[in-house]
Parts: sequence; structure tokens; C-alpha cells
Amino acid sequence: MDSISALISKSEELRISARRSDEEYDRCIRDHVASVRQSLSSKTLDLIATDHTLLDHFDPATDSITYLLLLLLRIQTLQQKTQETLPGDLLPSGDLWPKCTRYLKTFDPIQLLKLLSRQDFPTPYLKVDSLSCADSPQPLLAVPLIRDAMLKLDPSGAVFTSMHLLFVRLCLRARAYSYSLPILEKHICHFPGPAERVSSKSSPVLCAEHESSLAFINASSGLSSPLSCSDYLQYFLFGGMIYLALKEWAKASHFLEVVISMPTNGPISMVMVVAYKKWLLVGLLEAGKLRSPPSVVAPHVVRIYQSLARPYVNFAQAFEHGDLGRLDAEVGAAEDIWRKDNNMGLVSQVMNSFSRHALVGVGETFAALTIADLIGQSSSLPCDKVAAESVIASLIISGALDATLVQTPGHSDAAMLRFSGMPRLCPSSHELRLQTMFTKERGSLEGLMMAARENIHKLGVSPEFVDHVHKGQVWAGAGEAHLGIGDDAGLEIDEDIMGDMP
Amino acid sequence: MELPPFSREQISKLIASNAPPSQLHEILSQYEPDACLMSAGSGSPETGAGDPELLCLFYSSFFFAHLLTKKIPEARALTQRFPETLKHHDPSLQSCLTLLRAIWQTEHAQVYRVLRGQQWSETLQPLIKRYESFFQDQALIAVSNSYEAIRPAVAANFLGLDTQAAEQGDPTIIQKLTACGWTWNPESQLLYPSRITVPPTDQQPTNDIRGALAIFSTPSV
Repeated sequence: MDSISALISKSEELRISARRSDEEYDRCIRDHVASVRQSLSSKTLDLIATDHTLLDHFDPATDSITYLLLLLLRIQTLQQKTQETLPGDLLPSGDLWPKCTRYLKTFDPIQLLKLLSRQDFPTPYLKVDSLSCADSPQPLLAVPLIRDAMLKLDPSGAVFTSMHLLFVRLCLRARAYSYSLPILEKHICHFPGPAERVSSKSSPVLCAEHESSLAFINASSGLSSPLSCSDYLQYFLFGGMIYLALKEWAKASHFLEVVISMPTNGPISMVMVVAYKKWLLVGLLEAGKLRSPPSVVAPHVVRIYQSLARPYVNFAQAFEHGDLGRLDAEVGAAEDIWRKDNNMGLVSQVMNSFSRHALVGVGETFAALTIADLIGQSSSLPCDKVAAESVIASLIISGALDATLVQTPGHSDAAMLRFSGMPRLCPSSHELRLQTMFTKERGSLEGLMMAARENIHKLGVSPEFVDHVHKGQVWAGAGEAHLGIGDDAGLEIDEDIMGDMP
Repeated sequence: MELPPFSREQISKLIASNAPPSQLHEILSQYEPDACLMSAGSGSPETGAGDPELLCLFYSSFFFAHLLTKKIPEARALTQRFPETLKHHDPSLQSCLTLLRAIWQTEHAQVYRVLRGQQWSETLQPLIKRYESFFQDQALIAVSNSYEAIRPAVAANFLGLDTQAAEQGDPTIIQKLTACGWTWNPESQLLYPSRITVPPTDQQPTNDIRGALAIFSTPSV
């Protein structure tokens, strides 16, 4: 009991210190972490770890450090006792589940960051999440908890962590697509870099305001497991799949483009091929044509993609040529491939969009046509005039086709489709929409510019760049090419890189 | 802010409230983990779920909150998250699936049929009525912008009115439609809709349109 009393009084001291200056509070947190860890390493607390009511003495919002350490101690004890990575108590029906969720809902991010920023703290980022949630039979339960915890720790969402990948995978498993949007809509601008070359004593003051979350998320901060290129690719592939499920074609296309544009010298990864196949299909849904990959993709990579995704390319070509017979044949011939690749749903949607794209094509030639003439022009429409009119009406009403229908007295034989070419919205409404869009884009651009400036600065002061400048000065001779270290130098490097592109 | 506990009373209160659709969606989404946890628990021997009535009420109302915020693909994802045992037993959840199919296929007549004819629980009725009115509003806007001339029976089909009466030129129906700014030509027996524009930031139609749409509050079918 003395140990609990000591822990309670230490937590109390920390609460009082929260009212002091940033630096002082930061120092108090650091001392508190050391002191609590020392107490927890004593053998007396091993016994306490089995006490079910122990955590009830602490408030996870104000005693986040103590609470987390005790929680982890309890988890560790359970794991040792049951010899299971995921003991039953950690599952949603278990005793520890409410405690874990309460912690994740209310923890103090500054205290947690300070705990995780200790170099000697071996616990990976939010071990509680990964243990109690990732393998849960009800993955949805973990989704909002992890999302809110991630945003609490890094509201900007600008630094990619291993938790990003775990989270999107979980959202896909739970079919909780829209829950992932607050994370997916954040622009990722950084990877956790190497820790600043400073001692832990002069580590950033976490309670203070920071321009960028890079100040406290780095490779050694414990906020992310080590990352590989594959993690990054998978995150964008899964993100693209979420947007596909939500039928947000443009966003899905962007996410998949990030994957297929990954620079590579040697063989390309399977994730990139998977993304390329989906990207081709999204292109058909979005634009109705076979698009060329972004110009940053090297020609040899495009050739590899095309040879590995041959049925997809054939299908896209048939779609683009408006050849329904060939399209049906391509779909039938590669049915096993679509199924094996889990793309059958996408292929069906492409087939369903064929009428729309065919009608848009007709609209580029004709100003107006009767339904009977349209049936003759577009083989994808039903032969029955009433059914064809119904299909066309659905396309117009859903906003897929920019045209109007003009019915005539009597029956629908003589109904006419007029390709207006007029915007569906009145000018003021159109302007309002643009204004809203511009405001949103401006916000995003400002964020991106700030991140770009930061990256340029980091590049400018990195040892690699300093070496490069030094060598450049030696080679160029005195005064011929002056390269300074700073913002401009960073921009010059970017230009050089772009110049190398084919 | 801490929400009141997940209970039948709380969900019924939310359904009966006239909260804006986005707010309704947000609050209900915060209850989904509770529902998920409950559906995994033990309870009724038939369904295995904790409180089948509460769960069905929750999932049906959350489904309608998706429809009211025009989140159709997400509504589809939600139906895939319905507890398996309840999905096949509960009439309300079955009706949600039928309704989703009709909306997905833009079959207006079927949408009205499901909303008016299927078995919905009494508690859910305020949301059903609300969605029907919302769907009618959306259909009126869509038809006004998609047709330059339309036969009364076709318009009635889109708007959930009596198609046979409309075909025979029922003056009540014609009057309802002309009150929305449409023009009626008795010679050609055609209606000429006038375009309706909704500001992009507005989730709901404007007050003027809403006034005209109020005419549809009583279904004729």
C-alpha cells in the first residue's frame, strides 16, 4: 500500500506542476517518469500488478504516465501468466478493455509524449492499442479509439508513423471507411527522421507550442515502429481502396498514383502492381479512358506494369474504343484474374459506367437526339425505348450525364435527349462552389508550403548536403558557382532533380 | 462531451428529435462501438445479441442518418456491419437492405413503396417520414433540373404521387406541381419544370423551395 500511496502522491505533485511554466512542467514530467519507473521496477509492485483495482486509484487524464505504466505492467503480467500475446482480459469482453478505452479517450498527450520520448523507454508506440485492438474480433471498436488517439498526439497528421498503416488496415477490416477520413485527409509531409543530435536533457519542450510535429516524432521517440518503403506503399494502397469503397474516384486515383509513382531502379514491388491494376480501372470510371501513368514514372517501369497487367490493359483499350462486344469478351476471358485480384467489383462498376461514357461520347457529336436514335448510336442502351429512357433519366438525375430530357405528348417514342453543354448550376451557385473549393485548397496549400519550407531547411542543414556543397565548391573552384546553405540552395537541388527526369 | 449511456430511451429520443442530419449522424456514430460491443455479447438465445430491439433500432436509425446526409456508399458499408444474426431476422434491417437497393438503382417508385409499405418499428417512424420528405425534395430538384418537358405520370412516379391520377390529368396533382414553379400546358398535356438551384454549402433546400415542397407532405399513393 505504501507503494500505491507514493505513486499517488507523485502524480499529485505532477498535477500541481502543470500550472507552472512550460520548461518547468517539462522537467517535472521527466523527473516523474524516472521516479515512477524506478518504483515500478521494485519487486513489491510485481505483486501489485495482479491487483484488479489498482488502476482505479488513478485518473488517466491527469495521471497519464502512471496509468500507462501500470496498465503495461498489468498486461505484461497477464501475458506471462497466460503465455498468450493477446490475453482474454484485453479483449472487448475482458476486464482490462474498459480501462484501455478510458485511457485512450482521455490521456494527456504531453505526458504520453514525454514518456515515449525517453530513449530508454522500450515500449513501442501505444502498445496498448496494438495489443488490445488490432487483433480484436470486433475491429470497429478500435477504429475510433486509435483515430482519436493519433489526432490527439499529432493534430497535424503530417508525420507518417507505423500506426497509420495499422489504422487503415483496421478500417478496411472493419469496413469502417468513413471513420478513416480524418486521418486520410491529412497531408503526409514527413517521415520520422533521426533524432536531433541532442541529449535527452535538452530534448524539445513538449508542452510548448511547436510549428511541426517533427519536433517530437522521430525515429527514436517511440511513436512509430521502424518504417520501410513497403509500409508507405501499403498505406497509400489501402487509403486508395478506402476511397474506392466510398466511390471517391479522384481521391482514390491520387492515392494509387502515389504508389505507382514510387521511384525504383530495380524490380518493382507487388504492391505497386496491385495499385496499377486498380488505378487503370479507376481511370475508366473517372475519365472513361486508358490514362498514361504520371510522367515521373520511368518508361521501363511503365513497360513492366503493362506486361504484368496485360488483361487490364486489354480491357481498358476495349472500353476506350467503345467496343461492347470486345469488352464483354475481355471480361469473360479474364474473370478468374479479376476474382483472384479482388477486382471483380471494380470491373462490374466499370461495365455499368459504359452507357454513361458512351452517351457522353455521343454528346460530343450531337446536340440532341431522340431516344430511338440514341438506341441506334449506343449499343449499351436497352432496345426498349421506355427502358432506355429510364436508364438515361437515372444517369441525368444522378449527375453522371449533363443533359436534359424533353418528353412529348403521348408515349416516349419521340422523347428527346438534349446535350445542353450548359452548367447544371446557375452562375452564382457555381461561383460559390468554386469559392468554397478555393478556400479549402488555400488552407491545404498553406500547410504544404510550410512543410516544404521545413523540408528544404532540413535538407539545407543535413550533413549530406553540406558535404555536397563542400565538394561542389572544391570542383567549381573559387567564386565560380556560389551555393549558399539555405532556402534557395534547397530549391536549386529540387530543380536539379527535376532536370534529371526523362 | 460525454454522451448519455447507450439505451433504447436515448436512441428513441434522438430519433424523435429534429436534430440536423449531420449532428444526428455524428451522435449515432459515437454509439456504434457500444452497439458493436453489445452485439458481440450474450443475451437473447435466438440472436445471441445483448438487446436485439435496441440494436435494431440503433442500426436502422444510423442507416437513415446516412441517407439523410447523402452518404450512400457509407450506408452500404454500414449494412455490411449489421450484426449477422439480426440482419436475417429483423424486418426493419431487412427493409433497410431493400431500401438501399432501390436507392442504389435509382428506382424512385420502389423507394416510396418500401418507405410506405414495409414493416418499420413505431419508434422509427419519425425518421421514415423525415427521409421520405427529404427524398421527395431531392427528387423534385433532380427532375426540375433533368427534364425540360415531362408527362404528369412520369413526374408523379419520381415524386411518389398517384401515377394513374396524374395520367388522367388530376387537377390536384397538376396544382401541386405548378405550385413549385412548373408550367402546365393543357394542350400538349405536358409539364414544363423550372430549374431549382441549391447553394452548395446548404445541406438542406432553401426556405423558398422548402415552402413549395411542403405541399408534398401528404403522400397520395
